[in-house]
Amino acid sequence: MEYYGLDIRECAILDSYRENRGVYEKLEKIVKETLQKAISDKGLYVTALESRIKTERSLAGKLSIKGSKYSTILDVTDIVGARVITFYNDEVDMISALVDKLYTIDWKNSVDKRKMHELDSFGYNSLHYICSIPKSLYYDPECPMLNEIRFELQMRTALQHVWANMYHDTGYKSGIEVPAEYLRALNRLAGMLELADEQFSNIRASISDYRHRVEALVRGGRLDDVLLDGDSFRSFLEQKPFDKLNEKIARINQAEIVNVSLVPYLKIFKDFRLRTLGDLSRFIQENRDDAYHLALIQLASTDIDIISSSIGIQNLCIVHILKSGTGVSGLVRMFETLGGVNDYNRARAERIMSTASNLEFLNRK
Amino acid sequence: MTVNIENAGSKTFVTLTGRIDTTNAAQFQADINPLLNADNPDIEIDCTDMEYTSSQGLRIFLILQKSVTMKGGSLVLKNMKPAVKEVFDITGFSSIIRIV
Repeated sequence: MEYYGLDIRECAILDSYRENRGVYEKLEKIVKETLQKAISDKGLYVTALESRIKTERSLAGKLSIKGSKYSTILDVTDIVGARVITFYNDEVDMISALVDKLYTIDWKNSVDKRKMHELDSFGYNSLHYICSIPKSLYYDPECPMLNEIRFELQMRTALQHVWANMYHDTGYKSGIEVPAEYLRALNRLAGMLELADEQFSNIRASISDYRHRVEALVRGGRLDDVLLDGDSFRSFLEQKPFDKLNEKIARINQAEIVNVSLVPYLKIFKDFRLRTLGDLSRFIQENRDDAYHLALIQLASTDIDIISSSIGIQNLCIVHILKSGTGVSGLVRMFETLGGVNDYNRARAERIMSTASNLEFLNRK
Repeated sequence: MTVNIENAGSKTFVTLTGRIDTTNAAQFQADINPLLNADNPDIEIDCTDMEYTSSQGLRIFLILQKSVTMKGGSLVLKNMKPAVKEVFDITGFSSIIRIV
């Protein structure tokens, strides 16, 4: 058995590590599972949740450098380590609040490295908590040590993680002192990434504000004030603007309506150059009767009693194209936009042209 | 109406023949059931010799589509006759199920 040149007390710590390897493995599993569940229950999404057990060689290295700090294996707080990597800065705080409720935190040994920098310095940013598993969360009477072992939990953003890894790789892992100019370059990058983290958070907050504003305008019926885009279209769809038409079409054969996403039609409306939700609302009003008549011709002679909720919006678009005079080519373009290029599109368009030729709106002067 | 199912590598190939209507929809559902329980969610259905589908047939295709979507797979209907394709088009089912 190798002892890496350690003294007697350090060797005893290393022996404890070897004897309790199974307990550490169990602890790692519990930490990962409880953390994963808590994050998921809270509805949070993280980029990664990693965990590891310190290798024997790594522990020996630590003991040889800082061995005087440790009396027993329980004094080493990072044999089990876990790391949560988030997208945004504020999510680090959300995760830390969640961790605070989940585990017992050793505040004396926990550290928020994000707050340790001087005003004019940049570098490693991460939140490190030293934790243990409270008996209320998990207790195995045959393994009480599980609740005594402390573990380290690091929380940081993806950009902080990238910087820490690069720094570790270039400035620390090599074991060779890095010239000051390169360290300065690394720290300059840390400042830039800190700024980027802040900007990402600001952009997300702005997008969230924009969505709330759009929702309020849509709810308030101020549709001409809302530009047609992915967010506003989703808000508009929540008002169920196509339901009346769908229900009227369904009554032709007492059909059941199957709900599907109408979001793909946004591209079609963009093609039609509808600029605001007001334009879209008027588009519906102007075409709904003709869209219904098209459905009537198509369905009344059948016994089909199931339709998709896309039928109303589909027919609205079809009659708009027919009225605009772009005919088969316009219809083919719509079908290609929605379902891609395929051999059916032209035949389908020609069939619609033939069916629709008797519709009143095509013969209107 | 006949249903022939063959597994080949990572895909399941189905061949449909005849009409799916009220008289045989229950049989069609029973024939398709193994696909709902299968692990392999990528299904390709050859409709070359499918003559007609009623609403019941559409419902069964819908169940199949939901099943493969839940398993992260795909459902593709191929070589459909124009008259059958029209049923999918006028009901809006062309936007639910991929037809090539």
